[in-house]
Amino acid sequence: MRKRGDLVSAFIFLLPLLFTLAVAFLYAFVRTVYFSFTDYNLFQITKFVGFDNYIKLLADYRFVLALTHSLVYAVVVTASQTFLALMLAIVLNQKIRGLTFFRASYYVPCIASSVAITTIFIWLMNRRGTVNWFLTAIGRYWPFIITGLALIVLVQCLQVFWERRQGLPARVLDPALFGISLLIGVVGAVILGRLGVVQPYPMAEAAIPWLTTRQTFLGIPYPLLSIMMLNIWTTTPTFMILFLAGLQDVPQELYEVAEMDGATPWQKLLHVTVPALRPVLFLVITLGLIGTIQMFDQVAIMAGTAPLESTITLSYYVYWNMFGAGTLPKVGMASGAALVLAALTLFVVFIQRRLGFSEKGWYS
Amino acid sequence: MRKILLALVIVGLVVGVGFAQDKVTIRLAGYSGDTPLMQDVLARFVEDKIPGVEVVWEPITEDFLAFVLRTLSAGTAPDIFYVDLYWAETVASTGLVEPLDQYLADSAILSKEDLIPVLVDAYTVDGKLYAISKDFNSLVIFYNKDMFDAMGVAYPSGDDTLATFLDKIVRVYNSREWYGACLNADAARFLPFAFAAGMPFLKEDGSAPFDLAPAKYAADWYTTFNRLGIGATSADIGAGWPGAAFINEQAAICIEGGWLIPPIRNENPTLNFGTAFLPIVWEGGPRGNYLFTCGYAMPTNPPSGRSDLVFKVIELLTSPEVQTYILEAGHAIPSRVALLDSPYFQQEDPFAQATKTVFEATGLAGTLPFTFGEIAGGAYMGAVNEALTLIMQEEATVEEAMNDAAVKLDLE
Repeated sequence: MRKRGDLVSAFIFLLPLLFTLAVAFLYAFVRTVYFSFTDYNLFQITKFVGFDNYIKLLADYRFVLALTHSLVYAVVVTASQTFLALMLAIVLNQKIRGLTFFRASYYVPCIASSVAITTIFIWLMNRRGTVNWFLTAIGRYWPFIITGLALIVLVQCLQVFWERRQGLPARVLDPALFGISLLIGVVGAVILGRLGVVQPYPMAEAAIPWLTTRQTFLGIPYPLLSIMMLNIWTTTPTFMILFLAGLQDVPQELYEVAEMDGATPWQKLLHVTVPALRPVLFLVITLGLIGTIQMFDQVAIMAGTAPLESTITLSYYVYWNMFGAGTLPKVGMASGAALVLAALTLFVVFIQRRLGFSEKGWYS
Repeated sequence: MRKILLALVIVGLVVGVGFAQDKVTIRLAGYSGDTPLMQDVLARFVEDKIPGVEVVWEPITEDFLAFVLRTLSAGTAPDIFYVDLYWAETVASTGLVEPLDQYLADSAILSKEDLIPVLVDAYTVDGKLYAISKDFNSLVIFYNKDMFDAMGVAYPSGDDTLATFLDKIVRVYNSREWYGACLNADAARFLPFAFAAGMPFLKEDGSAPFDLAPAKYAADWYTTFNRLGIGATSADIGAGWPGAAFINEQAAICIEGGWLIPPIRNENPTLNFGTAFLPIVWEGGPRGNYLFTCGYAMPTNPPSGRSDLVFKVIELLTSPEVQTYILEAGHAIPSRVALLDSPYFQQEDPFAQATKTVFEATGLAGTLPFTFGEIAGGAYMGAVNEALTLIMQEEATVEEAMNDAAVKLDLE
């Protein structure tokens, strides 16, 4: 009797959420499935077309392109942001001076508006924008950079050698000695440049069309690569926070025992930290895959700048079929593509769970 | 005493609400960039002019066509909304936009004959008029007189051919100070030249015309500026659009419409500029241009439930007083025939003269309405834009890019 009463109470408390899910998800999902078999244009359905929309999708080169882009984007960005987030979290889990400042600074890209960041990013990635200016500077002044680095290494080695000859304990990367080496290296490179010993490399101004081109790198269009870099930069901090939280639960005794057994930092990372973070890794990778497969906003903001074929993803393909071409919406095609996107998301997460990290902790 | 006061307050509230409910609210939705002007117009010319009617301006920041289609489908469309000629036929085909022929016939203030015929035709679909044009615009060459004087080059003029115009831009280019031209890979700027060169809208068999010789000829000319380095896109210059590059004196010429005049007035009022018609294709040859226009339309079931009052508001918004006011603000050319002789066009200041040039350009032979009929305008222009981008960046030849564009459009 009491159990039934508990069940009823639980159901009543869940009712608002279930109602919202039923309306916003279940009803919308059923209608989407229905529309995908019709020629609905937001105003009327003239006929039931069966699987025609799905056949048209497979025959549409833009759909195939969007699918490829979405998969590549998901794999590359998820892997990169997971790795970087973990590394950042490990670094920021140390007791170093200014830790709070660094943690806050690294998190700023997440809290800024996605639209504002993308707009600034478009400006930076112009053919005569800051990124190309920086690449031109590197391309022209690399002799100075190499000379400076060589001087730094030489002076550092000499200083460490001298210190050790005096019987003083000097680490290879001693900070004080490194400061002196850095100063001498920079000044030395400048002096050699003034004397004409080192000269800038005669290179034309870099005018890489990061966003307005169909060129590819390893098969990935430049505009999509640019969006990948942007998204890795803006999303990594969120996952860094999750990893940081997870790292607080890793018992210190495990690291102490590993150290007593002579484990190197890399071995501690692979055999203590990563297994202990398995549940967090599962969450991060799952969220990463879902978010990247459904990426839309950057492509939409760049719609007037970048060629469609260089940036289109499945989400934008759905939007483009609805409002992109200046004609009545092709709701049937958009619905079919949306269902493919949903199925793909489920499939990728399923594969990830079967072949990758599970949510069970190391102690399981 | 307290109870009496409370009762009075409650009665007052009820009466107030009752009065408020007597007012009919008409929702007017338009581009968010028009907000200062439209709020000014509503305050000056519409507020309190129709008893019991309150007009509320709703600026729309999202894609306007998406907004119109979405709200028409959901039955939540505003009483009056903008309709750009570019997608007018799409919206009219929904069957949810009210034809205005009968309203015009019954109106004592506004009739079809008051409006410029080409603008009436532009919004007529299957014999029914679906929107009333509020203004119109076309493209002209805006040029910086100081830059041309400094380089000793004659100003662009309506007598220029494509070849002489190119020559002037080559000579006005100053590698240290400014570009000769700011031109984007923009079909809305390129297509007038292509049509003037003889490219049809579609081939006779309905396929894409971009692989025809006239299209390639026009594409070769249009992209030459950027390929030679004497021109650049607005993104390359670091401006948001070519008009901004022109206002910031980063380029000697740009191709824009009358919409550039208010920003010049606001941001660089001392700019010494002039305007000229687009160049002709060859000596004695044709000239192309686009006619852009935006109109007011209403849904078949306006939310206010009072189609008659909605049309009265449209009458006010297209009245001679409002259109004259908008004309003198430099915003756009009025759609009323009677205002085409406005004394504003005779004023000597550069803004009035620029507006006059834009107005005259709309009436030249070869000026086509900016519409794509049943073809998806986005797909048509998208194919052209990508071809122009590839040519400007020298990632493809004119031949390859235009052939590719034709194939791409045929796939749609």
